[in-house]
Amino acid sequence: MEDYYQSFRVKLEGVSGECYRVATAAEGIELATHVLQSKGVKSVALAGFFLSEAGGLASKLAQAGITVHTENLRAAAPEADAGITIGRWAIAETGTIVQTATDVDERLCSTLPPLHLVLLSTDALVPTLAEALKRIHSSPEIPGFVGFITGPSRTSDIERVLTIGVHGPEQFIAVFVEGEVE
Amino acid sequence: MGKPEVKGKIKKALDNQVLRGALGKFGDTYIEARAKAYEGYDFEALRSKVAERKAYAASHLEEMLDRFEKAAAERGAKVYRAAGAEDAKRYIVEVAARNGVKNIVKSKSMASEEIHLNQALAAAGCDVQETDLGEWIIQLAHQRPSHMVLPAIHMTKEQVAEVFTDNLQRPNDPEIAALVKTARLELRKKFLQADMGISGANMAIAETGTLVMLTNEGNARLTSTLPRVHVFLVGLEKLIPNFEDALYVLQTLPRSATAQQLTSYVTMITGPTPAYYPDGSVQDKEFHIVIMDNGRRQMYADDKFKKSFQCIRCASCLNVCPIYQLVGGHVYGHIYTGGIGAILTAFLHSEEDAKDVQSLCLQCGKCAEVCPGQLDIPEMILEIRNRIGDKKKLPFTQKFALDVVSNRRLFHSLLRVASKAQKPLSQGHGFIRHLPLFLSGLTEQKSLPEIADVPFRDLFKNVKQEVPSPKGKIAFYAGCLIDFVYPRIGEAVIKTLNAKGYEVTFPEGQSCCGAPASYMGDRENARKSAVLNLEALHAEAVDYVVTACPTCTHALKDRFAELVAGDPVWAPRAAELSRKSRDFSQLLSELGSDPPEPKGKPGKRKVTYHDSCHLKRKAGVFLEPRQHMQNIEGLELVEMKESDSCCGFGGSYSIKFPELSAPILERKLKNIEASGAEVVAVDCPGCLMQIAGGLDKKGSKIIVKHTAELITDEALTENRKENDLRQNKC
Repeated sequence: MEDYYQSFRVKLEGVSGECYRVATAAEGIELATHVLQSKGVKSVALAGFFLSEAGGLASKLAQAGITVHTENLRAAAPEADAGITIGRWAIAETGTIVQTATDVDERLCSTLPPLHLVLLSTDALVPTLAEALKRIHSSPEIPGFVGFITGPSRTSDIERVLTIGVHGPEQFIAVFVEGEVE
Repeated sequence: MGKPEVKGKIKKALDNQVLRGALGKFGDTYIEARAKAYEGYDFEALRSKVAERKAYAASHLEEMLDRFEKAAAERGAKVYRAAGAEDAKRYIVEVAARNGVKNIVKSKSMASEEIHLNQALAAAGCDVQETDLGEWIIQLAHQRPSHMVLPAIHMTKEQVAEVFTDNLQRPNDPEIAALVKTARLELRKKFLQADMGISGANMAIAETGTLVMLTNEGNARLTSTLPRVHVFLVGLEKLIPNFEDALYVLQTLPRSATAQQLTSYVTMITGPTPAYYPDGSVQDKEFHIVIMDNGRRQMYADDKFKKSFQCIRCASCLNVCPIYQLVGGHVYGHIYTGGIGAILTAFLHSEEDAKDVQSLCLQCGKCAEVCPGQLDIPEMILEIRNRIGDKKKLPFTQKFALDVVSNRRLFHSLLRVASKAQKPLSQGHGFIRHLPLFLSGLTEQKSLPEIADVPFRDLFKNVKQEVPSPKGKIAFYAGCLIDFVYPRIGEAVIKTLNAKGYEVTFPEGQSCCGAPASYMGDRENARKSAVLNLEALHAEAVDYVVTACPTCTHALKDRFAELVAGDPVWAPRAAELSRKSRDFSQLLSELGSDPPEPKGKPGKRKVTYHDSCHLKRKAGVFLEPRQHMQNIEGLELVEMKESDSCCGFGGSYSIKFPELSAPILERKLKNIEASGAEVVAVDCPGCLMQIAGGLDKKGSKIIVKHTAELITDEALTENRKENDLRQNKC
């Protein structure tokens, strides 16, 4: 698992993503809050997991002075500074997070805000793209929406110059927690 | 579109410094970046998987379609099979009308460009917005994409800023980050108000009814998330059999397209997902998949073009194409550009549209080498060229020239006359540096060699072969350039093979291999040449047939057999000739007994090797000649950059398109000079003519030699001095 994590981190950082790892869910919340604060985030859109209640993410963020939206996300997500969602798998080979986001709110939170933070368990790490496809395929049915995310949104469409952040988030952060996240 | 129009477009593109800069920069970095992206992966193994899986889907097309439709329908998708462009447009316009759609966002779909879908939707009163940045720029500028992956690669930031300023009615600075930000803000509004999304897909998985999209910008994710209606428009060739087959395309497409390990986003959609409706409710969206034929089945039914279904639209064939690098996509005149574009255009648009586009192909084979779908693009282009030739007949002057070449006696006597007539032009120094009148273009960038006083066929009679007890007999096929321009290469070939213990014969009746006819689309004359040589060479009577020109080798080995296929008399003889034909460097290695330790040491005379296109990519020979260099005492092999890039000769190509041939040669000469070598070794007399002519014109001291000459010259120092002198002089 250590190897997987190191490989994942190197690959993700190689495409301008950020990567952190902590021991517990509580520490994960702490770290996420700290990182968002340090980036000047004033509002976040949250969806697709129960951390907000069970782990106290929402209350922790609120304590830090960050406005948290968990409802009415069609209106809130486009205005939020950051979106937070949960990752289903992480691929060591390519530094990729896999989200299964059939839920529309999860998709709104991960596509619209300029910063996307993903929380996930180190247990979610798989070695290869091939393995990730196998896992997806072994679900009872292929989820309606499966998103592979490898770093922030990018383009090279003008003069072949790499520019980060077109339609999707310009910052992408993965926070790994040992054990369960939810 | 007639020929003068192509010439005009080429000139415009070549004069466009902006375009040259952008394409050049990309072309320079692409090859290395791609190689790096594939580090640790077996490209050959991967591409055979891509080819095999896609070929399987194509050969089971009806079954794949049924499986896909069933699986997608089970998940709630409405699948529509569109036979043609009109059909597809009508269906999509109806979906829009039925759902009261006003605003449409599109994530990239080449298929929609192919059928001009935007116009149809606009005519029905919809606002259609491209959202891929490059596509959006093109849309605002009212242009056509010039590259499949990078549609606006031909534009500068200044031009983009101007387009934005005009369209948004406020000033935009030519700063890339700011322009990208503006695109984000403007298109974000469009995304949020869109009622319908239209997407293309990179794969359609039959087993699960899943559509897969690879993007970097995130526009496909937004298109799949915000609008309440979503329509996919997918070409038949996007089908793959099973879910896990997606792996092979995921592993090759980003690496080959943009030298990425993986695109920022891969999005897999299976059936409708929920979306917000205007009343605030969340319900499954209206979800349609249009699978379009539009000429694809016809393409598959054609044996020579079946493999087009293996194309994954990565555009790496454009990225490595020396002609595309010079002129960009707009010269090609249609939606699909570059090599693969010429082929797709012929089938998805018309053969007429492909006519001039296909003529731009130099036949260097670079694209086939990097194609993740294992398509032999140059062969397909040649087939189109020949079909057009079969139907239309070539212009009179071209046809006349080819008729002459395939008539041995006439051709050879004309060459003998030319040998005498050229004297005033060459002034005795062996090179023709200027030609008068309309031929002047030919000598603008390079000098042309003189036709030899005595052709090899006459010289041969006086060559003494001392082989006491020969191991066997080898027939030498000279080809026009060695026979009439470089007989000295022929002498060297014989000397080297004699030293290996073989006797060499020169079958008298041999003539041009027919390559000029083949590459100009004149199958009739190509076949005449094939038959003439099959008879003359009489491969049955010798152990090997050797050539020292890789284009001739390719003709003897492959082309003749194709041209006489099915003929009860000639086909077996062509097979025999194919079996026995070898290129010089290759045969020398096969005959063996070279010293095991390389003799070349640092500090010796430096030689660099230029790979001829046909030797490397048709015969797979590139290690052998290098081994020969290294076995020569006194030589040190230094590699030049891009050693296997075309020199720009391409036979008749350099006559037809001297304006394209010249800059390709220029690049080759720069790489040669940068290598620091004193000698360039080549295995092709055509490359020799092109490179030596270019160096002469520049007044360079660098010498060009055929591998055979280098071997015989270096063995005898006296010989070398004498021949260097001769080479420098002539």
